[in-house]
Amino acid sequence: MVKRLRQTLKSLSIPVLAVILGLIVSSFFVLMAGTDPVQTYQRMFCEGFGSKGCQTFGDLLIVQVGTDDGGVSSVFAPFYGAGGHRMAVVLERATLLILTALSATVAFKAGLFSIGMDGQFVLGAITVAFLGYWLPSQVYMLAGVSDPGAAPQALLSVMHVLIPLVCIGLAMAVGAVYSWIAGYLKVKLNVNELISTIILNAIAVQIVNYLVRYPLRSDFNSTARTQRIDDTAWLIPFNRGLFQDVEWFSGARLGIGIIIAILAAVLIWFFLWRSTAGYEQRMAGGSRRFARFGGIPSERAALRAMLLSGALSGLAGALAILGIERRVIDGYATSGFGFDGVLVAILARESIPGIILVAMFFAGLQQGATNLQFGDLPRQLGGIIIAFIILFSSMENFFRDLITRIQTRLRPRRTPYPTEAGAP
Amino acid sequence: MIEFLNTHSRQVRIGLIIAGVLIILLLLISLPMTLLQSSIRLATPYVLGSLAALLASRAGVLNLAIEGKMLLGAFVAVVTVYQPGVLPGQGRDPILGVLVAALFGGGLGLIFAVLYLRIRINLVILALAVNLFVANATVFFMRVQFGAFGTLADPSIRSLSTLQLPIIHSVPFVGPLLSGYQILVYLSWVMVVLVWVLLFRTQFGRHIRAVGENREAAESVGINVTRVQIFALTLSGMLAGMAGAFLSLGVLSQFVENMVSGRGWTSITISLFAFEQPVGAFFTALFFGLAEALSFYLQSRPEVNLPPDLLLALPQIATITALVLVALRIRTAELMKRRTFAQQFGHELDKLRRGVLAGGQD
Amino acid sequence: MPLAVDMRHIRKFFPSSSVLACDDVDFAVEQGEVHALVGENGAGKTTLMNILYGLVAPDAGQIFVHEKLSHIAHPNDAIKQGIGMVHQHFKLVPSFTIAQNILLGIEPNQAGFIDNNDEADIVRRLSESFGLPVNPNARVADISVGMQQRVEILKTLQRNAQILILDEPTAVLTPQEVRELYVVIRKLAADGRTVILITHKLLEVKEVADRVSIMRRGRMVATHSVADVSVRDMANLMVGREVILRVDKSPATPGDVVLKADNLLVAGAGGIPAVFGVSLEVRAGEILGIAGVSGNGQTELVEAITGLRPVEGGTINLLGQNITHASVRKRREIGMAHVPEDRMVVGLNLKTNLDENVVVTHYQDEPYSKRGILRLPPIRKLAQQIVDAFQVKSARVGEEIKTLSGGNLQKVVLGRELYGKPRLLVVNQPTRGLDVGSIEFVHKTLIEERDSGAAILLVSVELDEILSLSDRIAVMFGGRIMDVLDAEAANEQDIGVLMAGGSLETEPAAAEKV
Repeated sequence: MVKRLRQTLKSLSIPVLAVILGLIVSSFFVLMAGTDPVQTYQRMFCEGFGSKGCQTFGDLLIVQVGTDDGGVSSVFAPFYGAGGHRMAVVLERATLLILTALSATVAFKAGLFSIGMDGQFVLGAITVAFLGYWLPSQVYMLAGVSDPGAAPQALLSVMHVLIPLVCIGLAMAVGAVYSWIAGYLKVKLNVNELISTIILNAIAVQIVNYLVRYPLRSDFNSTARTQRIDDTAWLIPFNRGLFQDVEWFSGARLGIGIIIAILAAVLIWFFLWRSTAGYEQRMAGGSRRFARFGGIPSERAALRAMLLSGALSGLAGALAILGIERRVIDGYATSGFGFDGVLVAILARESIPGIILVAMFFAGLQQGATNLQFGDLPRQLGGIIIAFIILFSSMENFFRDLITRIQTRLRPRRTPYPTEAGAP
Repeated sequence: MIEFLNTHSRQVRIGLIIAGVLIILLLLISLPMTLLQSSIRLATPYVLGSLAALLASRAGVLNLAIEGKMLLGAFVAVVTVYQPGVLPGQGRDPILGVLVAALFGGGLGLIFAVLYLRIRINLVILALAVNLFVANATVFFMRVQFGAFGTLADPSIRSLSTLQLPIIHSVPFVGPLLSGYQILVYLSWVMVVLVWVLLFRTQFGRHIRAVGENREAAESVGINVTRVQIFALTLSGMLAGMAGAFLSLGVLSQFVENMVSGRGWTSITISLFAFEQPVGAFFTALFFGLAEALSFYLQSRPEVNLPPDLLLALPQIATITALVLVALRIRTAELMKRRTFAQQFGHELDKLRRGVLAGGQD
Repeated sequence: MPLAVDMRHIRKFFPSSSVLACDDVDFAVEQGEVHALVGENGAGKTTLMNILYGLVAPDAGQIFVHEKLSHIAHPNDAIKQGIGMVHQHFKLVPSFTIAQNILLGIEPNQAGFIDNNDEADIVRRLSESFGLPVNPNARVADISVGMQQRVEILKTLQRNAQILILDEPTAVLTPQEVRELYVVIRKLAADGRTVILITHKLLEVKEVADRVSIMRRGRMVATHSVADVSVRDMANLMVGREVILRVDKSPATPGDVVLKADNLLVAGAGGIPAVFGVSLEVRAGEILGIAGVSGNGQTELVEAITGLRPVEGGTINLLGQNITHASVRKRREIGMAHVPEDRMVVGLNLKTNLDENVVVTHYQDEPYSKRGILRLPPIRKLAQQIVDAFQVKSARVGEEIKTLSGGNLQKVVLGRELYGKPRLLVVNQPTRGLDVGSIEFVHKTLIEERDSGAAILLVSVELDEILSLSDRIAVMFGGRIMDVLDAEAANEQDIGVLMAGGSLETEPAAAEKV
C-alpha cells in the first residue's frame, strides 16, 4: 500500500513540476505585457476554477462570504455556488475534452498516432446540427402535427428520448467512418496516419464550412449558422432542468454530457484493460512483432481502434451541439476541440483517470485565460502556458537523468556484483 | 522495391519525365496566363517549405514543426518591416524582413533540434508543442506589442517588389511566364539548385544523407551525427522562415492570425511525394500551387457554379490522393516483385527438380 | 615484441541493465599478431573492444596504444591512434557506392565540394595496394555480404589503421568467404598490422590466431599462445566448467508425420531466395535439427513455417492440413508452437507484465476470457504455473518482465509455448546468450517434450546443440538442405563439410560453385 502510494506520488511529481515550470516560464510573457505574474495567475485561476468573489489563490479553497446579518463567514469554496461556480463551466468544457482525449488515447494505445479528432469532432457536430432539427420536423410531419408546441405530450416524451439517441448514434457513426479512412490507409497501404489525419482534418473543416455557409444555413444572420436544434433533440442542461434550483450550476451549460463522458471513460478503461479486443490492440500497439508472433490479428485490432476512436470524437461533437451549442455557427469548425483532446491525452500519458484530471485542468486554464481578456492579456496566454507544460512534461527523461546524475554524484560508489553478463 | 527500380529505373524515369513534360505543356497551352502566374506565386511557400522538409528528413528527422516555423517567419517578417508613422510604402525594405524571418526560422530550428536531440523530447509531442506555442505567441505579441486584433497591417508595410528578368522578360509567352515575380520567387528557384548541390555535391550533404540513411555508419567514422542533424534542422528552419515571409510579404503585406493554415504540413507531404528529391519537390510544389490557384480562380468566377469552400479542400484532397497513389505505387511494386520472384525462382526450382529426377547434376 | 594495445584495469558497469560488463580487465596485444578475444555471448568482449574504439566510456582503467597512454573518448580518437573496427553489423550506407562508403567522413574535397571520380581513383588505388579488389562505383545495397565486409576492412585501411578490430567477422560469411577472410587477416598481420579478432568460434581461433585471450562474465580469464591450448581447454575456460556435450536421452520413437514441407521457396532480403526448394518432414516424438552457418536461410525457413513470412512456392502441411498460407493463429490452433530466435522483441512484449505475456497464445480460450472479457484470476494462475514449473527466478506474477534475465525470459517463452501441449514445436536458437544452467534446462525440457510425443524442429548455429539433441540432422547451406543425416551416424566432420556447401560423396571443393 505504502509502495503504491509512493509510486503514485512519484508519477505525479513530474506533471506537477511541469505545471509549475510552465507557469514560471510563461510569466516571462506576462511580464512583457507589463502585468504582474502572481496577480495574473491568481486572477486566471480564480476565473478558471474559483467561486464567485474569488480573488486570491486562497479563495480557491476557502472563500469569505457575507452572511445575512452583515457578518462574514468562511466557506469551503468548491461548494460555494452563489451566482454560479466556475467549476461548472470547467466541467462543461471538460466534457468534450475528456471524450476527444479518450478518442486519442484509444488510437495511441493501438500504436497509431492519429490526431484526427478535430475532423471527426466537427463532422459529428454538423451531423447532429442537421439531424437535430431535420429529424423532429420529419416526425412532426408524419404525425401530422403542424405546431410543435401543440404536439401531444406522449409524442414529445418519446421523441425526447429517441431523437438524441439517434442523433448521437449517427454522429458516432460519421466520426467512426472518417477515422476508419485513416486507419484503413495505414493498415492496407502504410500511409502515415499522422499525416493522413492532419489532411483529413483540413478537409473536414472545409466540408463543415461549406455546409454551414450554404446548404444548412438557416437565416440571413451576418454570421452564417445552422438552424437551432429542436427542443426534443436538446439535452437540457442542469441549470435549466434537473438542478434548476442549485445555484452552483447556474452559469454553465453543463448537462448530462459530463455523465456520458465519465461513463465513457470507465467503459474505455474496461475495454482497454479487461477485454480481449483491448488486449489485442494494446499488444499490437506496444510490440508489433510480438503481436504478429502471437497470432493477434493486428490489422483488425488497429481498424477497430480507429473506429472506436472516431466514434468517441463523433460523440464529443454530438454532445457539443445537443447539450451546449444547439447549432453550428460559422467558424466553429476551427475552434479546435479535437486538437485540444490530443494535447490532453499526451499530458495525461494515456492514463484514463489522468485524462479526467488533465481535461479539467486544461479547461480551467483555457477559461481563466479567456476571461482574463478584459485585462490587458490576450487569451493566447493559456495556449502559451499549455505549450510550455507539454514541453516540460515531456522532458521527464531529462529530469530523471538529472536527478540520478546528482544522486550518483552525492552517493559513494558501490561495486555491484556482476550479474548475468552482457552488454546492452 | 530497390530491385524493381534498379531493373526498370531508366524506363520508369523516362516515362515519368515524358508524362510530366506533356502535362506541363498541356497546362501551359490550355490555362490562362494569369492562372499560371498565380500558381507559380502560390507555389513559392511550398517550394521553400518542401525543401525545408526534405532537408530535415534527409538528415533523419521528420520536421513536423515546419508549420510553426513558417508562421514565425511570416510574423517576424512583418514585424521587421512594420514602421508606424512613416509615409505609406516607406517602411523598411521587405528584403530585410525576409532575412530576419530566415534568421528566426533558423533560430527556432536550432532550438527545436537541441530540444529533440539533446534533451530527447518525443519528436511529435515537441512539434505539437512548438506549433501550439508559435500559433499563440504570435497572436499574443500582436495584441500586446501592436494592439492588433487578428491582422497586423500598416501602410508602412511594403510587400516584396517584383523583378523583371533582363532578357527573358521580352521573350513572348516565356517572358510573362517566368519574369515579373517577387525576388523571393527567384530565390526559391535558386534554393532548389542550392539544396540539390548541397545534398549531392558537397561533403556536408554527403554527411547529411549518411546520417539520415544509417546514422550508425556515420557515427562509426567519426561524423558528429547530432551536429549534422542540428545543422540540417537549422537550415531547414531558415527555409521555412523564408517560406513564411513570402506568405506575409510576398503578395499581401500583412500578418494574419494563423495565416500558414496547414501549408507547413502540406510541405511535408510534398517532400514525401517527391521522394525527398529537391527537383521533384519543386515540380510537386508547382502542382500544389496550381491547385490552389485554380480554387481562387474559380472562386472569382461566379458563373462557374462551384462552392469556393469545397475548392479550398482541393489541394488537401489532392494531397491525400497523392499519398494514396505513392503508397499504392510502393505496394504494387512490392507485389510485382513478389510475383516475378515466385515466377522466376519457381521456374528455376522446377527445372532443377526435373534435372534431379532425371538423374542429372546441377 | 612491443605492445600495440595495452588495456589495464578496465571496468565498465551498465546501470540501465545492472550488468558489470568489464571487471578489472587487463588485455595486452603485441604488434603484428593476430590476437583472438573469445568468450561466450555476453562475456564482455564486445564491450571491451567498444571501449578501445571509443564507443563506450570505461568507468575506470587506462589504455596504452603503442605504449603511450591514450585517452580515447570517441571513435575519432581511436582512428587517430590508428585503430580501426569492423563491427559485426556492418556500418554502411546502402544507397552510397563502395567508394563513397570507404571515404565517408574523409571525403577528398575542394572547399567542401566532392568529385566522384577522385574518390573512385583513390579507392581503386587502395584496393590494389592491399590486393582486395572491389568495384568503387557499385552501390553497397547491391553487393554481397562478403564484399560488404571487405568494404569495411578497406574503410579502416584507408584511415591508416595499424590495429584492426574484427567483431565476429565470420558470423555472416559463406565458408568460401571465410577462407578468403583468413587469407586477408594473415596478410594484414604479415604487413605488420595488428588484428584483434572477437569470436566465440574456437576452431576459428585455432585456424587463424597467434594468441588468444579468454573472457568470462566480465573478467579476463587467461591469455595463451594458441599453439599451447587445445579447443577443449579454451572451451572450459570460456564456460568455467566442462561443456556438457551429450544430453541424456533415450532413442527416439518416431510416430506419424506431423510437419511436412515440400519444395519451399521463400524470399530473403533484396529479392534473393533465402529458402530454395527445401523439403523436410518432422515426425511425432523426434527432433529434427537444422545445422548451418547463420544466414543460410534457417531464419527464413522458420518464419515461413510459423507464418511470419510469406511462402512464394511449395507447400507446408501440418497434421495433414495445408497451412502454406494460413494465419499464425490458425497454425497455433492446429497445434504449432514457436520459440523464436529473438525473444526480446518477437517472443515477448517487454513493455508489459508477465500475465499479458503468457496469455498471448491463449487469451481467446476459456477460462482466460469469456465472451470477449479477460478473466484475470485464471490468467494469473497460468502465469504462476509457468513460473513454478519452469523455475523462473525473480519473477513475480503481475510484474513487468523487462527486469528478468535472458535465461528467465527464455523460460517464460518456453513455458508459454509448451503449455498447450503442442504437436509441433519450432525452436530457433533456443539457448543463444543463456548461461550454462539455463542451457541445460532448455535442453532437458526439449528432450522431455520429444519423449511425450511432440515433433520438434530445432534450428541452431551451435553444432554441439544440434548434435546432442537431434535425432536426425538436416544441414542447410545457401537456402537448401544439403543432406539429412541420422544423428547416431553423424559426426562433426561430415556436418562441417555439408555446412560449407560440400557433399558427402565428393570432396567439398567440388561443390564450391553452388
